[in-house]
Amino acid sequence: MKTLEEVLQDWEAVIGLEVHCELTKLETKMFCGCKLEFGAPPNTHTCPVCLGLPGALPVPNRAAIQSIVLAGLATNCDIEKHTMFYRKGYMYPDMAKNFQTTQGPKAFCMRGHLDLTVDGRGAKERLFWEDLAEGETSENMTRTADGYVAHVGITRIHMEEDAGKMVHIGGGEGRIAGATHSLVDYNRAGTPLIELVTEPDLRTPEEARLFMHKLRQIFLTLGISDCSMEEGSLRADGNISLRRRGSKEFGTKTELKNINSFKNLHDGLAYEICRQAEVLEEGGKIYQETRHWDPSKKHTIVMRVKETADDYRMFPDPDLAPYDLSDEFIERVRAKLPELPDQKAARFERDYGLSSYDARHLVEHRFTTEFFEEACAEAGDRAKELAKPLANLALNDISAYVNAGEGIDFSKTAFSPARGVALVSLLAEDVISSKQAKEVFAAVLEEDKDPDAIVEERGMKQVSDTGAIEAVIDEVLAANPDKVAAYKGGKTGLIGFFVGQCMKAMKGQGNPKLINELLAKKLDA
Amino acid sequence: MAGFASMGVREIQVGLASKDFSAREVAQAALERIAKCDDEVHAYLEVTEELALQAADQIDEALASGKSPAEIGPIAGVPIAFKDNMNLKGTHTTCSSRMLESYVSPYTATCVARAIQAGGIPLGKLNMDEFAFGSSTETSAFGRTHNPWDLERVPGGSSGGSAAAVAAGLATVTLGSDTGGSIRQPGSFTGTVAVKPTYGVVSRYGIVAFGSSLDQVGPFARSVEDAALTLNAISGHDPLDCTSQPVDTDFTANLAEGAKGMRVGFVPAFMEAQGLEPEVKAIVEQAAKHLADAGAELVEVELPNAQAAMSAYYVLGPCEAFSNLSRFDSVRYGYCDPGHKDLGSQYEASRANGFGPEARRRIMLGSYLLSAGVYDKYYYPAQQVRTLITADYTRAYEKCDVILAPVSPRTAFKFGEISDPTSMYLSDMFTISINIAGNGGMSLPAGLGADTHLPVGVQLIGPQFKDENMFRAAAALEQVYGKAPLAPAFA
Amino acid sequence: MAQHVTERDVRDIAEYARIHLDPDEIVQMTVDLNSIIDSLKPITEYDLEGVVPTFHPIGSLSNVMREDVEVTSFTQEEALSNAPARQDDCFLIPSILGEGGDR
Repeated sequence: MKTLEEVLQDWEAVIGLEVHCELTKLETKMFCGCKLEFGAPPNTHTCPVCLGLPGALPVPNRAAIQSIVLAGLATNCDIEKHTMFYRKGYMYPDMAKNFQTTQGPKAFCMRGHLDLTVDGRGAKERLFWEDLAEGETSENMTRTADGYVAHVGITRIHMEEDAGKMVHIGGGEGRIAGATHSLVDYNRAGTPLIELVTEPDLRTPEEARLFMHKLRQIFLTLGISDCSMEEGSLRADGNISLRRRGSKEFGTKTELKNINSFKNLHDGLAYEICRQAEVLEEGGKIYQETRHWDPSKKHTIVMRVKETADDYRMFPDPDLAPYDLSDEFIERVRAKLPELPDQKAARFERDYGLSSYDARHLVEHRFTTEFFEEACAEAGDRAKELAKPLANLALNDISAYVNAGEGIDFSKTAFSPARGVALVSLLAEDVISSKQAKEVFAAVLEEDKDPDAIVEERGMKQVSDTGAIEAVIDEVLAANPDKVAAYKGGKTGLIGFFVGQCMKAMKGQGNPKLINELLAKKLDA
Repeated sequence: MAGFASMGVREIQVGLASKDFSAREVAQAALERIAKCDDEVHAYLEVTEELALQAADQIDEALASGKSPAEIGPIAGVPIAFKDNMNLKGTHTTCSSRMLESYVSPYTATCVARAIQAGGIPLGKLNMDEFAFGSSTETSAFGRTHNPWDLERVPGGSSGGSAAAVAAGLATVTLGSDTGGSIRQPGSFTGTVAVKPTYGVVSRYGIVAFGSSLDQVGPFARSVEDAALTLNAISGHDPLDCTSQPVDTDFTANLAEGAKGMRVGFVPAFMEAQGLEPEVKAIVEQAAKHLADAGAELVEVELPNAQAAMSAYYVLGPCEAFSNLSRFDSVRYGYCDPGHKDLGSQYEASRANGFGPEARRRIMLGSYLLSAGVYDKYYYPAQQVRTLITADYTRAYEKCDVILAPVSPRTAFKFGEISDPTSMYLSDMFTISINIAGNGGMSLPAGLGADTHLPVGVQLIGPQFKDENMFRAAAALEQVYGKAPLAPAFA
Repeated sequence: MAQHVTERDVRDIAEYARIHLDPDEIVQMTVDLNSIIDSLKPITEYDLEGVVPTFHPIGSLSNVMREDVEVTSFTQEEALSNAPARQDDCFLIPSILGEGGDR
């Protein structure tokens, strides 16, 4: 099989996403007052409505409607005032009524978009952007300094309800295939669910990954969901088809399911693109089918072939009143819109003079955003001066720490934003070296003490006394006359050796910047 | 306690207030009468003796504490029974279907809860056509109900048990549900006052749905006042039903006003309808005359699109029923065909053997009508026709306060007399358009047919949310006809 | 009488509605459905150009919602009380795919 890079030379991938997001931050279900709770004992959060008992009737949760309108406003959608709930019929045991209450041709949110900034390694998956001049646009792509911005259309976001959960037994690994029985738990049935459908505007697995990532950040910022791909509160299905470069027609698409991480989304799409290319290049045919990504075997397998279009017998649900949202309702929701990640990044650039790269990456995660913002507040007048080292601290040390541990809530650790400010201040004032700063960072987390105290205790203050450093330099130069000669003979790379020797002699506490300067002065004299 | 069967709500409450008898004695008298007479009628599928006595004792306690019956509730001490599509916690709610034979309700319908809250003594659950599909109660999986006026005949349907129980004095009032005439037609067949209020007046929460946009709950009684008091007890906004409306009408308020000054609409086309029996036509004409004699003004009104109501109904009803009945799948409750190794065959066998022929037919029809391509041909136009029919009624009510019409084209028929489904559907020809438009309609007993000597009801149809109009006209006619008698064999 | 549905159609409809019908039941159901569908003809003959459908016969009622407030749920026992089959506090069903694989 060819690599993704090879395939994308000849083929253009056309990718659309269907994203499901459970509104886990609500108290209750979509159409009844049962509590939303992940992981409760089976069938302990049910009632006549979510069990689909005969005679039960649905009543929509106002907060769910507010949440979807919020999601629509945050993704640049038009809010459709006149909508209805429909019944989508299919008999499946996790669907208590055997129809799903969802929306029809008109959803609450229509015609939105998100812009993705793609650069670095990820941008390499897409071709031709380098041919554009900065600011120039071609199709949905606008060239930036070091990559491009992709404009991705959102067809709609509609409101619906989740199904129950099933456990399949007797089939090995809990798989449905080969199972002799299944167990059904309706706790999740009726969980408010929003489904976002994109236009087929994505061209690379990286763009799909970035879209999901950005969407997740937005939904987290809105506070409408915990967006856990692992627990299934955020799920993505990908629709993929290929077409020859230059062709305008769409190929037959397959649907990719079972994606429970950003990496799986990327890798599954990449695999599926390569698989389709191989089939097509060998003269084969792509069937419209649903495929399952198996991350352990790193391939996709067929789940279901769609011979004919599904016929869901959809019709407007007579049990639910239609919607006629007022401007007032929409404006009240709009007033609750928090600052979104893009807006925040722009503010970080503007107010703190951060680079666009740093600003964008800071807002990618809540823990980096929150740390940075609180630390800047803590720094007061010095915020602008300390912003860059604080950003570095967040993006490097803190990110590495959080990524290494599982499910760490960084705001609950001993490393408070105030201690962050203290640490970068020590660094900025040349009290400690950046290497020492890393040690202090680890020590603060370990010992729950202020950075100054740790530096004091460990006698870590770096030596910036010119006289003391010069004395050490003289000793080192005197001990290595041959290397001094070699340096003077042109091997200037030996400067590193001298710096190392000096640091060793000073037990790592010399100010490396100063050592460098003074060494150069002496050697070049 | 003597004479219970013929008592109305007021008589029971006067007796309770004056301590002539206790609520427990009322309950016991009712239970004894059911035990004695229901073998012949078979109105009841389940008798809730324990619940009845419990409720009665509570009322006796309240009376003993000094409360008057009216203070306890509008139907305090009144024996009441419920169509078996109404959930009452701890009772079977079978919808007269094998599908739900062993289903025990874990919750209570709002209207049932309100009836009991209002002092009703719950006697039990009443027979019906399976899932309310039918006009004769013959499609019940648990045996047919007999018309107390002639045990060889049907009581009508689908609320046949609710009608027969009242006509035979096996309950003072009952609740039924009406999707296309299922309260009014059996009301006409059994000579009882039978009310389908405007859609939205009574909560549908807990009523096993047939046609969600058509179903409405209403009372059966032997007097207009008893029906109004019962409706007072069960009506009003319910936060559990999105389609329920904030109604706080007192339906007894204008019963004494008489018909003087009322404008009564008369639809000439109805009187010329094919299949309308002369004896029924004569009674409707006579009722018009009685209203005119009482000072009402008769005005001719037109409902030009009413003839499309039948086909619209047989599109909308089955489509909604198909969807509503898809939940019966042998997983969470209901009939489960034994011995299947895969869910697909369990589904198909459970639904084939759990549902009777008429239910299967309607589910099949609905599934076809909602399928891709067919939806646009029938379902969508049917909802457009609904707009036209609703507009017809709105226009008609510019000229009148209430419309007088036949209920059923004929009197009660014999068991098995009508077997062809499309002919059976015709017995709803005068009642269906009211469900399509959502208005209230009621059947008022207006004597016996000249040929068959069986009860004939006349239908009074009110404007939406002005159900008090039909109550007022009905009360005026009741002045002429007298209160509905018990069926002679049960008097 | 017009043939609106064939026996083949009726078999498909029954499969979708998940109702098993024996061959003789298919024959009778086909006759019944054709007869009923025939009687629906008036609906197809109306001039309905520009008529707005009434999906909800509830007048101007709209935006009916409840507050996001928890209400007492069933106990686990109540939830499962009508289950035809149960295991491990769940509803128990036979193999979804069966031996024939995906449906």
